[in-house]
Amino acid sequence: MHQASFPKPGSLIIPDWHQNAEGGEYLSCILRKRKRRMFGLIEQPVLPPQLPFDIASYKIFVCGKSGVGKTALISKLCGLEVPSVHHETTGIQTSRVYWPVRPRDSQRPVIFCFQLWDCGESALKKFDHILLACKEKADAVLFLFSFTDRSSFEDVPALISRTLSQDEDPARVVIGTRFDQFMHTDVTDQDVGLFQQTWQLPVMRVRSVNGPRLSDGISLDGRIELLDAAPVLNGLAEILWHRDQITAGLLASDV
Amino acid sequence: MEGSSVFLLCLTASSGVPLYCRSKRSSRQLTFSVIGSLNGVHMFANNQDVLLTSTRTENSRVLWRTFHESINLIVMSCDSNASDHSLNRLLENVFSTMVLVIGLDDLMNIKNVERLKKDLRACYKLIDSFLTESEKIGDLTQCVDCVISNDSVILQECLDGFTQAAESEFGCLLIGGKVVVATEKWWRLASLDAMLLCWLVSSLSPHSSRDYPVYLPQGSPTVPHRLLTFQLVPGVDVCILCGPSPSLQKVELELVERFWKPVLDPVKSCLRLQLRSFPISLNLHQGILGFLLINRDLNKSLYTVQVHPFEDTQRSDIKCILEHRRASLRSFYTLTMLRYFSPEHHDGKIQYEEAFPEGFTHQAHQCYVVSSSHKCYATKTDLHFLFLLFKTNVPTFSMRAIANKTMQVFTKEFNF
Repeated sequence: MHQASFPKPGSLIIPDWHQNAEGGEYLSCILRKRKRRMFGLIEQPVLPPQLPFDIASYKIFVCGKSGVGKTALISKLCGLEVPSVHHETTGIQTSRVYWPVRPRDSQRPVIFCFQLWDCGESALKKFDHILLACKEKADAVLFLFSFTDRSSFEDVPALISRTLSQDEDPARVVIGTRFDQFMHTDVTDQDVGLFQQTWQLPVMRVRSVNGPRLSDGISLDGRIELLDAAPVLNGLAEILWHRDQITAGLLASDV
Repeated sequence: MEGSSVFLLCLTASSGVPLYCRSKRSSRQLTFSVIGSLNGVHMFANNQDVLLTSTRTENSRVLWRTFHESINLIVMSCDSNASDHSLNRLLENVFSTMVLVIGLDDLMNIKNVERLKKDLRACYKLIDSFLTESEKIGDLTQCVDCVISNDSVILQECLDGFTQAAESEFGCLLIGGKVVVATEKWWRLASLDAMLLCWLVSSLSPHSSRDYPVYLPQGSPTVPHRLLTFQLVPGVDVCILCGPSPSLQKVELELVERFWKPVLDPVKSCLRLQLRSFPISLNLHQGILGFLLINRDLNKSLYTVQVHPFEDTQRSDIKCILEHRRASLRSFYTLTMLRYFSPEHHDGKIQYEEAFPEGFTHQAHQCYVVSSSHKCYATKTDLHFLFLLFKTNVPTFSMRAIANKTMQVFTKEFNF
């Protein structure tokens, strides 16, 4: 059965840790010359020996209706350009995001490796193996809606039941995209609050726009992008950490 | 039209509905009336049983092609280096791209135009790369661009093992869309298919891994296969082509690290090959600026215009110089292939340029061009074509000797 509870933000990890001196040092391993550092599958962040860390990997499936901003959200979290024109993702694409976190109960900082799985809707419909592949051993599923499209918000409960069956138990997180377009907002804070109360699911808000660029005018400023993405990355880390603790029996499920 | 802009139009052949328009070096869109006229004149000719293929104005060329009586492609180019041959190749590549991503069935039987338009957006990146690409030449040769690595033996071993473990026979290791090593079966794919797959991977935005459905335009235009790609380090991807199994997750978690982590250093060192295409330890004649070597059997090519990279980096106008070299080598290739090395078979395709050997019983095996900025030399053997771009101070009489020596180096020492 799906666990109804999710941790209170900041209860399990130190939320602004990456802004203090220690966190800053750890953060530097995912930046290079103010740009985000990219890692291939056979690499991982490297830190000097005096900065010990553990790595924890999680598979996260990102779903939501076509055009809701799945690829844009992932680009944002990876520090890549948010695509300016929408086109449906062909097949599956996955991206790894490394994010150092300081859990309150852990001896050393943990670098979370989020493996984000993205797929286009028509691929889902056309090829049977895709949904199964995305859900296979997923630790969390992100259900996306757009703040500028009310129907996508109202569809979230149906989306959840379409995507996951009763006995599947990844962490469930709802994310509202395009929070930047407040002029066109179709979903109010009240709506979100009510939803959260009814369904007992964490809801996060993201802005789907590129941040400022470096002086070359081309590259995105990695540090600012990271600070922008920090609330979502921290939120995910905390939810997954919480889930692990419950699985390990270290924490009662009603925290 | 501006300077060297290129416009590409795609319309349905039956109703003339525009499906998309892509352009290079132009901020303007073509107006609907221009699109309508371009398509209209082709349609008019068609109704009179006339096949309109191309026309030329003072500063531009226009080409039309209809594919499977369903899709019309029109290209309008103001690029002075463009030829009917290169533009035809462009149209073929663009249509093949559409097949690769959408599948031939959906292009031949268009049920819902709006849906098709939406689906076609997934082709834009690859199509745009054919309009703008400069580091590769596969768009013109329809061969697979390669690099030569000093570590190719160990990488080949790794790739063979990895591909086999992933239940496939088709695998390749790519750096920026150029093949470092590939399995034996990969080289037996139709050369257009193999070229498109490499270009596809390099045109997509970087991702850790992908499970991408592809229709092979020559080999399997109606039944999709799965192209799995894994980014080993940024810029280097390993790809396999497979059927329904194994799952992306399985390969990524169980095989990628196991096979590739031990060769992290050789994989990383591939990145240094990107511009020059062959190891820095290999010295070529000082007079050579660039070359294109084609293996005719495996349809693979080695191409660079930076043979002496250290010399080049000191120049401030390097970008311009390289562009000029690329344009020179490309037009020399086109000229030579069409006029002198005309391939043995034409597959019943329409001949777009007047052929040289009319009235001659023999075929040319070597040819050269001397201009104020460059000298070019081409030679052909049973297995290879070699096109060289020289500095002007290289004596014309010595080009053949240098070409033969260069050919020796790559074909004998590196077994290309």
